[in-house]
Amino acid sequence: MYEAVHAHPDGESTVARFAKTAADYGYEGVVVRNHSDARGSYEPERIREEYEIDVVRGVEVRADDPHGASGAVGNYRTDETVVAVEGGTNALNRFAVENEKVDVLAAPIAGNGDVNHVLAKAAVENGVRFEFDLSDVLRTHGGRRVRHVQSLRKLEEIVDYYDAPYVVSADPSSHLELRTPRELLALGEEIGLSSEFIEEGLREWGRLAERNRRIDSESFIEPGVERGRYEEES
Amino acid sequence: MKHLPKHLQPRWRYLAVGLEAWPDASIDRRGFQRECWYAGQNLLGDPGSARADLTVVRFDFTDGVGEAIVRVRRGETEPARAAIACIDAVDGAPVGIRVRGISGTIRAAEENYLGRRGQVTEERNVVFGNEERVAVLRNGSADVRLDEAFAGATDLDYDLA
Repeated sequence: MYEAVHAHPDGESTVARFAKTAADYGYEGVVVRNHSDARGSYEPERIREEYEIDVVRGVEVRADDPHGASGAVGNYRTDETVVAVEGGTNALNRFAVENEKVDVLAAPIAGNGDVNHVLAKAAVENGVRFEFDLSDVLRTHGGRRVRHVQSLRKLEEIVDYYDAPYVVSADPSSHLELRTPRELLALGEEIGLSSEFIEEGLREWGRLAERNRRIDSESFIEPGVERGRYEEES
Repeated sequence: MKHLPKHLQPRWRYLAVGLEAWPDASIDRRGFQRECWYAGQNLLGDPGSARADLTVVRFDFTDGVGEAIVRVRRGETEPARAAIACIDAVDGAPVGIRVRGISGTIRAAEENYLGRRGQVTEERNVVFGNEERVAVLRNGSADVRLDEAFAGATDLDYDLA
């Protein structure tokens, strides 16, 4: 299972500290998804070797409108393994699900954002994953948490009906905000998302990273066409 | 308290909980107990938190790391786990929290899951992000003191000044 994190300078802990803690917590990898206005530098290979946990390069595009997001997605797509777009307004949600270069629509139900059947169908078509962001369940309470749990359940019903792809994350911005997979599964059961559902969502980050790495690798030409092993001409 | 015959005594499970915070945090048992009960009540409601119990029976916290044992009724360990995961701060200090394991007795919980600390913390001057800072080092991790907050780092992230 993977967790997608905001690392220093976007968050408070460095990628290495996240990796160390996540390895200790039983995760198989971390996806670094710093916001596009707070990128940092880190060495995934070195961290991977030191803590024996996969480190996936990623970005979460933060833009005011679809126009700005569109340019950023194009720029980052070639360098980053996972490209997410921070949703939260209806315009950005719609932009993200209609763009097949986008991997993940992060926090679609935060702020004024909403999701309906039209967006779900577009997301299925373009392979854009909805994010189930558990941060407000973990770190707020009262009315705000009630509304957030309601939105999560609504999103779950839509995703379930259309069989739309999704990911789950606690959206941590410091190593203190990480929670173990078992804790997230138990929390899911309490708020009406089954533990199987949460587990699938945590695994999806790993599958996504693996798929994108294969596509980015040199042997991949297009779907169904890959460079195989041929005899060298002597 | 009136004693019950053994077959009527409640069956408890003991959650061994690991705590972590920034080096300047001070967390006491009373504050942690309060957060446990609040978290239980907020997530599970009054009946759920009554079922789970969530009494802190052992607590120890020094130098930014700590451990605790939380008593839970048998069969309620998963709701209790969810409630504990929702503790994000104690007395305003952000905490990282995880359930390290569950045992049927306090002694087994202590022996199997707690008491692995014995790590020394030391303060060193380090270079982090091209600036000289003071960091608290422990077991390969480094909490670097920035101007107003801390940054969580590891041995890979700094150079000794």
